[in-house]
Amino acid sequence: MGRTSKDKRDVYYRLAKENGWRARSAFKLLQLDKEFQLFQGVTRAVDLCAAPGSWSQVLSQKIGGQGSGHVVAVDLQAMAPLPGVVQIQGDITQLSTAKEIIQHFKGCPADLVVCDGAPDGKYRLSCPQALNIATHVLKPGGCFVAKIFRGRDVTLLYSQLQVFFSSVLCAKPRSSRNSSIEAFAVCQGYDPPEGFIPDLSKPLLDHSYDPDFNQLDGPTRIIVPFVTCGDLSSYDSDRSYPLDLEGGSEYKYTPPTQPPISPPYQEACTLKKKGQLAKEIRPQDCPISRVDTFPRPLAAPQCHTLLAPEVWKCDSQPALTPSPCAFF
Amino acid sequence: GSAARREGSFSREFSSLLSRGCLSTSRIDMDALEDYVWPRATSELILLPVTGLECVGDRLLAGEGPDVLVYSLDFGGHLQMIKRVQNLLGHYLIHGFRVRPEPNGDLDLEAMVAVFGSKGLRVVKISWGQGHFRELWRSGLWNMSDWIWDARWLEGNIALALGHNSVVLYDPVVGCILQEVPCTDRCTLSSACLIGDAWKELTIVAGAVSNQLLVWYPATALTDNKPVAPDRRISGHVGIIFSMSYLESKGLLATASEDRSVRIWKVGDLRVPGGRVQNIGHCFGHSARVWQVKLLENYLISAGEDCVCLVWSHEGEILQAFRGHQGRGIRAIAAHERQAWVITGGDDSGIRLWHLVGRGYRGLGVSALCFKSRGRPGTLKAVTLAGSWRLLAVTDTGALYLYDVEVKCWEQLLEDKHFQSYCLLEAAPGPEGFGLCAMANGEGCVKVVPINTPTAAVDETLFPGKVHSLSWALRGYEELLLLASGPGGVVACLEISAAPSGKAIFVKERCRYLLPPSKQRWHTCSAFLPPGDFLVCGDRRGSVLLFPSRPGLLKDPGVGGKAGAGAGAPGVGSGSSGGGNAFTGLGPVSTLPSLHGKQGVTSVTCHGGYVYTTGRDGAYYQLFVRDGQLQPVLRQKSCRGMNWLAGLRIVPDGSMVILGFHANEFVVWNPRSHEKLHIVNCGGGHRSWAFSDTEAAMAFAYLKDGDVMLYRALGGCTRPHVILREGLHGREITCVKRVGTITLGPEYGVPSFMQPDDLEPGSEGPDLTDIVITCSEDTTVCVLALPTTTGSAHALTAVCNHISSVRAVAVWGIGTPGGPQDPQPGLTAHVVSAGGRAEMHCFSIMVTPGPQHPKPSRLPRHAPFVPRLDEYWDRQPTDGSLAFWDLTTVLDHDSTVLEPPVDPGLPYRLGTPSLTLQAHSCGINSLHTLPTREGHHLVASGSEDGSLHVFVLAVEMLELEESVGEAGLVPQLRVLEEYSVPCAHAAHVTGLKILSPSIMVSASIDQRLTFWRLGHGEPTFMNSTVFHVPDVADMDCWPVSPEFGHRCALGGQGLEVYNWYD
Repeated sequence: MGRTSKDKRDVYYRLAKENGWRARSAFKLLQLDKEFQLFQGVTRAVDLCAAPGSWSQVLSQKIGGQGSGHVVAVDLQAMAPLPGVVQIQGDITQLSTAKEIIQHFKGCPADLVVCDGAPDGKYRLSCPQALNIATHVLKPGGCFVAKIFRGRDVTLLYSQLQVFFSSVLCAKPRSSRNSSIEAFAVCQGYDPPEGFIPDLSKPLLDHSYDPDFNQLDGPTRIIVPFVTCGDLSSYDSDRSYPLDLEGGSEYKYTPPTQPPISPPYQEACTLKKKGQLAKEIRPQDCPISRVDTFPRPLAAPQCHTLLAPEVWKCDSQPALTPSPCAFF
Repeated sequence: GSAARREGSFSREFSSLLSRGCLSTSRIDMDALEDYVWPRATSELILLPVTGLECVGDRLLAGEGPDVLVYSLDFGGHLQMIKRVQNLLGHYLIHGFRVRPEPNGDLDLEAMVAVFGSKGLRVVKISWGQGHFRELWRSGLWNMSDWIWDARWLEGNIALALGHNSVVLYDPVVGCILQEVPCTDRCTLSSACLIGDAWKELTIVAGAVSNQLLVWYPATALTDNKPVAPDRRISGHVGIIFSMSYLESKGLLATASEDRSVRIWKVGDLRVPGGRVQNIGHCFGHSARVWQVKLLENYLISAGEDCVCLVWSHEGEILQAFRGHQGRGIRAIAAHERQAWVITGGDDSGIRLWHLVGRGYRGLGVSALCFKSRGRPGTLKAVTLAGSWRLLAVTDTGALYLYDVEVKCWEQLLEDKHFQSYCLLEAAPGPEGFGLCAMANGEGCVKVVPINTPTAAVDETLFPGKVHSLSWALRGYEELLLLASGPGGVVACLEISAAPSGKAIFVKERCRYLLPPSKQRWHTCSAFLPPGDFLVCGDRRGSVLLFPSRPGLLKDPGVGGKAGAGAGAPGVGSGSSGGGNAFTGLGPVSTLPSLHGKQGVTSVTCHGGYVYTTGRDGAYYQLFVRDGQLQPVLRQKSCRGMNWLAGLRIVPDGSMVILGFHANEFVVWNPRSHEKLHIVNCGGGHRSWAFSDTEAAMAFAYLKDGDVMLYRALGGCTRPHVILREGLHGREITCVKRVGTITLGPEYGVPSFMQPDDLEPGSEGPDLTDIVITCSEDTTVCVLALPTTTGSAHALTAVCNHISSVRAVAVWGIGTPGGPQDPQPGLTAHVVSAGGRAEMHCFSIMVTPGPQHPKPSRLPRHAPFVPRLDEYWDRQPTDGSLAFWDLTTVLDHDSTVLEPPVDPGLPYRLGTPSLTLQAHSCGINSLHTLPTREGHHLVASGSEDGSLHVFVLAVEMLELEESVGEAGLVPQLRVLEEYSVPCAHAAHVTGLKILSPSIMVSASIDQRLTFWRLGHGEPTFMNSTVFHVPDVADMDCWPVSPEFGHRCALGGQGLEVYNWYD
């Protein structure tokens, strides 16, 4: 596998590098814009979870060029500077961050808030948090675009979004792979319920399944319409393409546009490169000494590996039935 | 003041606002619901990442999805799983257990356990005395408003640390909030740790997304709900903190972070405000994010995304590293300090138990044997081991030395100047080396030396030129052969026997063999094939050869017939024109040419009816001899990067270990546990080395810097790490296919860990076991047995041939062993697997109930195959259209059996599809067809956009008029009825099965298994079940029996099996 292998397997990765985008995700926002005209009339845009900055690049190119356009990019991680983009290295769950964004817009709310942050790590969600800060900075009628992973509770998320926006759609650009569970919630017409006071300190509208509108396993679930963006003639992200694209110029390897700057693992990588990661004490480093006798070794009885055991069948009802106040 | 209740009313307030949103949602009439509650799927078994682990007395609790597995860690050397408690946390994943401290109670009899994960909490009281497990009581499942990061018992109540930096005191019996205190800094947390045994002294250490640790005291709140300011902020990590652990006795806190490091902080008593915090250790050792950390009295345990569990001292040295989990990381750790055990649970759903040994491994190590001395001139050329305590070495002066490991001294056995400069040295195999060794030189001379009486050595000149290689073959204690390769591919076979006195040995040339021509034409290894009529040899060219062990064998019908190998006088093998010629030598009766590639075969081993070979191609083969012919069964790759396999041993417990060289290290690798049992930094395999293992010790000797180095691991000192549960797949499952069902009689009853009184009545009758194949991104294909009675799962075998991810498997030709004429219990099937890098593999599997084992055993093997393809092929493209091809025009008209193409490896061209149908707006992720009684086909497809498309397809034969030559019938496809369900699911529909013309079942990444009614116009929703496997990629359903109903297997990031009654 040479360095061109990824260029062959992922045509959008390759095109992103050749067009100077920091990540292939730039095409997703471009294709979303083509479908929904997201940038029409937008002068103030916020890019949440911006690093490495490809969406900020698109935003600054599309609206920063209009002279009056302002783009603010927020991320916890440091990001290489981009012309025409104001960067805030901060936490989107902090009120100070929201205030800072508004400050950069000279007190005006934003027309568009986008978030391409993936639910990172083990258990974290980014879209509800992005929506939470968006309620602080978005103008009425504004637009919110966020990456969602369509897992088990996506219908809950839809119902949350529908509280705040007059139109909620689920869109999938062609540059996003079929094999990926990601999609984008395109929410237009910000219209918070009457009397709603934004509050970052509370997890926003922690919806639960509703027996009437949004059932956990019933037929009534909030599933928003699904839109595929990008025309069929665009490249298929699930396919491999030859290096010399039809109608394109001759292939030349392009290095990544912007490698990540100071990622959390930087020190670990430096140490590894220098061979300075801690190593275990190998037996060959210590001389043979007396052998202690250990207790009989444990042994799992096995002919074939048991992957799952028998199920405990509850033969008697629990002595105490759950009290009803848990279920509202 | 219940926050949960507040949230509830909050959402209800907004539900009136939702009505406008409902305009765009799909709603199905509620009235129709009543009729459609059947069939209802219930979860039977799940295999998911292990996300929580806790030792309670001598039991281990493991959280797998919402279920709890209970293991008994008995001291009698017995280790077993007691039970699975289903569905403790509803749809949440279990992240932790907190056992209520019992001041005078005995946790060995019963325990009150708080189980939490995501936003759910439940308390369960269990009793488990005398191996009997009982659930005594369970509370309601309490839903919190936010993620629970930590829980702590404060007498009868529980303190919870929640996701936005608040602490809740909760009554777990009634299920209500007693007190809630937020921090002034309401940032999002990534982890938290609660300290203290009473609300008054409760301390929270919170890991904020700003990478800081916040220490604050909830009890200092002036009134309920009044925010509390943090007492201390601790910075240091440059990534999110995923886990922390506090050791009260030493005043230490450990944190694990996204920045791949673990930090140790000296904090003193954290319950005292304003204390000094000092970072005393910054430990880099992981090569990916660190998920978990745990402080013990003398150790620090950490584990993470790199699948390694590290044991550190409190000073920051790595004492041990536990490697063996596969896939995406270790998710949970637990420790049993008294027993010095660490238990890890992986994303691969495996659970392993490891032994803490302290500083260094006692009884293990490398020592230099100090050969160099004035009395021993010359430099060492070769070394060999005769058993594990006697070592032999030869120098360039032709002197043979013996080293006794017990006495620790060198002794010269003999010196022969004929063996100067070039000398091969091999000790005979056997428990302690048979007391013999052989030397060979460049002039064709072989010397066999009895180690105890070297004066009785026997010389034999065999060839006019150099002896290229020497190897031994031992059959029981009866027959000992020495094979020596000379020029021109001639192998001399010498028979070695000893006089009864033991003082003299006899060497007799029995016969000569001839190897197939190649540039480097010598053999490398040899072994008797039981019962002993044949020898299996490997050669330098990578071929595996089968020779008769005696020259007369083939001509003597008595011997040949008895062995069942002389069937039709297999004659002399391919390569040897003058096979039986005594001058040139016997040819092989069977050859697998270049099986191991150009680098050669390195070892052959016969065990349990199979032949195993290893080679320098990084692979080992399982072979089978049938009718005197070698047949490959299974090719397996060793661990990544180990391309030089040197040998294979069957260790006393019956499992197999692989010897090999990994860069400059010698490695003993266990393929079952994926563990490197021994690692010796010897410099690589090109120098002279020797390996021996006996009950008492394992030894590895090699030459380095003109001296002999000896690595020894004395018996008993390396307690094997225990696999409590093997991992299923390291990565996502991409495809699930059911092969068939085998019936086990009562004699094969799966042993129940519970006593018979627990057996349910009505579970009698034939014990059906489903055989299911899964394949995965981790490049393996796995065969599973799923008994219907116990809800358990057993891994039968894994096939690891693919170089890239395996995407799909197909199964056909299902039969029974012995064929239709003589059916025997069991199952046979052909399997084809396809994966990345355009790779396909085909193999047959045979599953038979083994008489010794109460569970099925397996015999996977490669076989030439004739694939039978269905007449119409459907393709699932990413543009949402379905295409149908007529394969009958491509293939032979009269036959549905496809002969292998003339040019193998080139697929047939499909040409243009005969029908293309735009069914969906984007990619199609599932497809199923069912022939109807009217002769039509019901076709259903599911797409990425969550929609379903169902239509009836008719195949009509049209007479083609304009056809030149013979007029033929041309099939034409016509769509009769067509329906679409646009918002059937909220995500990709990845599994779809038409069970009957009236019922269809679909599964989606939104984790719903939904039944649809067909046949009355639009498919209508019947009911839906939420399952636990994320990212489900495939589903298979099958009817088991009228009593049992249907079964359904869902594969994704885990495996789940459902069943429903028809």
